[in-house]
Amino acid sequence: MIQIQNAVKRFDGFAALDGVSLSVPAGSVYGLVGPNGAGKSTLIRCLTGIYRQDEGALTIDGEPVWENEALKARVAAIADDWYYFPQASIRDMARFYRGFYPNFSAERYEKLKEVFEIDERRPLRRLSKGMQKQAAFWLALSAMPDYLILDEPVDGLDPVMRRQVWSLVLGDVAQRGTTVLVSSHNLRELEDVCDHVGILDHGKVLLERSLAQLQDNMVKLQVVFKDGGGVPEDLEVLHASKVGRIHTLIMRMGAAEAQNRLAVYEPMLVDAVPLTLEEIFIYELGGADYAVKDIVL
Amino acid sequence: MRSKTSYFNGTLFRKNLARFWPLWGGASLIGALFPLAFLTILIREHSFLGEPMNDPLSITAGYYSVVAWIIPILSLLYAALCALAAWGWLYNPRSVGMYHSLPITRKGLFLTDFLSGMAMMLIPYAVTGGLAILVSAAVGGVEPVGLAVTILAVAGQSFFYFASATAVVFITGNPFAFAGFYFIFHFIAAGAEWMVTRLMTMFYFGVERSYQGVAEFLSPTMYLTRKLNVDTTSRQIVNSEGWEETVLESVTLANGWLIAVYALAGAALLAFAWGLYRRRRSESAGDVVAVGWMKPVFRYGVALCAAFTGGMALYDLFCESGRTTAAALPMAVCMAVAGLIGYYIASMLLAKSLRVFRGTWKGALATVLASIVLCFGVAADPFGMERWTPQAEQVQQVRLWLRGWNGRGVTVVLEDPAAIRQVLEVHRAIVAERETLDRDRFEGETHYAYFDLDYYEDPEDFSGRVNRSYNLPCNDILMDKSEALQKLAALASDPLIQEANIFDQISGENVETRLTGGYASNLYNLETKDREQMDLTLEQAKALEDAVRRDIQAGHFGRTLFMLDGRYEKAAYSGDLDLYYSVTYLDRPQTGSHSCSVSLSLSVYCTETLKALEDLGVVNETRRLLTYAERDALENEEKGIPYTYDDPYSGYYDEGFYPADTVYPGDAYVYPGEEVDAALLH
Repeated sequence: MIQIQNAVKRFDGFAALDGVSLSVPAGSVYGLVGPNGAGKSTLIRCLTGIYRQDEGALTIDGEPVWENEALKARVAAIADDWYYFPQASIRDMARFYRGFYPNFSAERYEKLKEVFEIDERRPLRRLSKGMQKQAAFWLALSAMPDYLILDEPVDGLDPVMRRQVWSLVLGDVAQRGTTVLVSSHNLRELEDVCDHVGILDHGKVLLERSLAQLQDNMVKLQVVFKDGGGVPEDLEVLHASKVGRIHTLIMRMGAAEAQNRLAVYEPMLVDAVPLTLEEIFIYELGGADYAVKDIVL
Repeated sequence: MRSKTSYFNGTLFRKNLARFWPLWGGASLIGALFPLAFLTILIREHSFLGEPMNDPLSITAGYYSVVAWIIPILSLLYAALCALAAWGWLYNPRSVGMYHSLPITRKGLFLTDFLSGMAMMLIPYAVTGGLAILVSAAVGGVEPVGLAVTILAVAGQSFFYFASATAVVFITGNPFAFAGFYFIFHFIAAGAEWMVTRLMTMFYFGVERSYQGVAEFLSPTMYLTRKLNVDTTSRQIVNSEGWEETVLESVTLANGWLIAVYALAGAALLAFAWGLYRRRRSESAGDVVAVGWMKPVFRYGVALCAAFTGGMALYDLFCESGRTTAAALPMAVCMAVAGLIGYYIASMLLAKSLRVFRGTWKGALATVLASIVLCFGVAADPFGMERWTPQAEQVQQVRLWLRGWNGRGVTVVLEDPAAIRQVLEVHRAIVAERETLDRDRFEGETHYAYFDLDYYEDPEDFSGRVNRSYNLPCNDILMDKSEALQKLAALASDPLIQEANIFDQISGENVETRLTGGYASNLYNLETKDREQMDLTLEQAKALEDAVRRDIQAGHFGRTLFMLDGRYEKAAYSGDLDLYYSVTYLDRPQTGSHSCSVSLSLSVYCTETLKALEDLGVVNETRRLLTYAERDALENEEKGIPYTYDDPYSGYYDEGFYPADTVYPGDAYVYPGEEVDAALLH
C-alpha cells in the first residue's frame, strides 16, 4: 500500500505539493489525474525517491521511500521523459537493470521480446519515441516489481500497443498483485483500467475515491420540465445546459437522490446517464475554478 | 524495517568504465606512447637492450621529475574530464531522475561513482607506469624505494585532484559551470592575490611586481610544480677505462610530503562533497550553482572579481593608462561599473534569466559601495607598502638592476652587508622623496632611470622575495636638488657595486679564474679613418685588469650612467675593452674549464685604464679611443652635421646633413650655468 500524508514539496518557495494525502490500496490501479502543473509528476518523483519531500510522509508498505534501497528494488518507475544511456541498446539497459533489481527476470525479458517486436541490439536513441516507451515497459515489467509507478505511460504508443501494454500491466495486477500508480491526462483510458482515482489540483488532492464511488457521487440528468420551464432556482446543480427543451444537469449526488429531488417539480422526462471520468474531472475542477473558459479570440 | 544497504554497485562501476572507455583508453594510449618512444630510442641507439644506459637512481630521478612537474598539470586537466564522466549525470534532470529512482542509496551512488572516476584516473597512469617500469628494468634496473615513492606520489596526486573535482561537481548543476568553477577553485588563491596586488601596483610608487604567492598553497598545481623538486647528490669516480665519471649517490623527491598533505586535503574535500550531495536537491540539475548557501557567494564573488579585473581594464581603456600611479576616484568609478556588471551577470546566470533588474537594487548598491570602499581602501595604503623598506638584517641578498637613461646599466647580486646597506640607503632616500620622484606627479620634460630591487630574506627560498621597481625622473634640476638621485648616481659608481657588476661572473667561493688575454675594439685610426681591434697579450691584459680594478676602487666606473643629453656622448668612449678568463667551478669539476669574457665600457673618468692603455701602446697618436661625440664629429666631418626633422602635426619627416661649417646649437648641450667638465675638454 502506498500512503502519502501531508506531503509538501517546494521549489524556490512555490509549493508544488501543498499537503497532499492519498493512499493507494495494495493490488489496485490508481489513476492520478489533474490539470497541468497540479503536482502529479512531482508526487511521482517523490514516490520514486528522486525528490525528497520537505514535509509529510511517503511510505510504501509502511516503510519510507527515501533512501530505502530494499524498498526501491520492489518499485519500478517509468518517467514521462524516460532516460537511457546515449549509446545503449535495450539489451545493454536490461543488463544494467539486472544489476540493480534483484527480481529482474531474464525469462520474462525473453518472453516479452515476442510482445515488443523491437531489435534489442539497436541503440535506443535510434528508436522512435513510441518504441522507446515500449522498451521502458519491457524493462520495467522484467524487473518484476511489486509497485509500478507510471507517469504518462502510454503517451506515444499506438492504440494496439496501448491495449497490449495495459493488458500486460493488468495481468501483473491480477496475477502478482502488483500495485499500479498511474498519472495520465488520458482519462478515457484511465477509466478503463483504474479502480481508484485521485484528482490533484494546485498541489492538493481535490478528491480521492474508487471509480465506482466517484461515479455514484455525481450524476448527469437529462430533464424536460413542464411547459418548457427552466431549471428551478432552488435546485442545486453543478452545471446546467439546454438543447431545445432538454436540460442537461450535473448534480453532486446519487442518481436516485437526484431523481427524487426532481420529482418535486413534476418533470415530463428525467433520465439519469452515467458520467465519464473526463466529465467528472471537468465538473469537479470546474468547481475548483478550472472550467473551460469561453474566450473569444 | 529496512533491509540491506549496499555501498558499492558493481554493475554501475562496470557501466561507468564501459561507457567512458574512450576517455581512459585514449589517455592510456597516449601515456603508453612515451615509454614506448623511449624504448624505441634505446633500441635505435644501442644494439642490444642488456646494455645498461642508466643506473636505477637516474631512472628514479626521471620518475621524480615527472611526479614533480608533469603529474600535477596532467592530473589537474584529466581529473576534470574523469569527474565529468563519473558525475555528468548530475547535470541532466532526466538522468538524475533515472539514477535516483534506482534501488541504490545516494551513499552507494557516491562511492561507486567516485571509485569509477578514480579507476579512470589511475588506469592510464598504471598502464604508462607499468610500461615505464618494464623499459626501465630493461635498461638499468628499478630502484624499489624510488618506485614506491613514485607510485604513492602519483596515487596521492590523482586522489587529490579527483577529490577536488568531485567537490566542485556538487557545487554546480551545469557542465560548463563545472569547468569554470573547477579552474577557479584551483587558481582563485593565486588569482585573488594577483588582482589585489595588481591594483596596489597601480596606486603605489615602486610597487610593480608585488605578487608574493602568500596563499599559493591554495593553488595546488602552482604550488606543487614550484615546491616539488628532485634533489640529487653525486660523487666523482674513475671508471674502469680511467675516465672520471659522475655517479648519483642519492635521489630524493624534495617536499614530497606535500603530496601527502594534499591527499589529506583531498579526503576532506571528499567529505565536503558527500555533505553537498546529501543536501543536494535533484531539481538543481542545470543550475549554475546547485547549493543554496553558495549562491550569494557566487553572486558577490563574481561581482568582486569583475570589480578588480574589469575595473582595472576599464581604467586602462578610458583613463590614463601607463601611469605608475592611478587616481583613486576614476579607478573607483571603473571598479564600481565593472562590479555592477559582474553582479548582474552573476544574477542572470543564477536566475537563468535576463530579467533580474527588478528587486536587486540593494545587492547592486552593496556591490557599488564595496567596490568604492575597496578602491579607496587599497589606495590609502593601509599597510604602508609604498613607504616600506626592509631592515638591513632582514636582507640576505639584493638583486639590483640599475639602468640610466642612456640604456647603460648595472645588474648585480649583492650579499655583502655593506653593499646591501648602501642599496637600502638609496631605497630609503627614494621612498622619502616619492612625492617628487613619482613620475605622475612630476611635470616637465625629463628622462627616466630605472631602479629595480629584489630583496631576499633567504636566497634559496623564492617566496621570501620582495620587489620594488622605480622609474625615476632624471634631469639637471632634479639631479641638483634630489638627494635620492644623487645617492643613486653615487651608488652606480660605488666600488662594491661596480666590482660586482664587472667581475661577479668570474668570482666566487668555488670559482678558480685565470686571465688569458683580451682585446680592445672600436679603436679609431686617424690615418685610415677606420675602426680597429687590437688583441692584447697576457701581460697587457694583466696590466689593464689592474688598472681597471684601480679605477673601480676610485669610483671611476659607472659615472656616465646618469649623464644627461650630450654629456654622455662627450664622456663615454665608443671603444670597448674585453678581458678573457678561463673559469673553473671547483664544485663542478666534471664540467671542466670554460672561457668567459668581461666587457668594459670606458669613459673619460677611467683615468687609470686610459693611462695603462697609452703606456702599453694599445692607443697612441694614430690609434685612438674616441668618445661618441668625437667619433660622430669625425665621421660626419665630410658629410656635415646630421639633423632630423620630425613634425608630429604635419607628419613631415626629413633627415640629412647641414654643411660642416654651420653654427648649430650643439653647444647648447651644455646647460646655462653649468661648468664644463675639464675631462671633457681632453
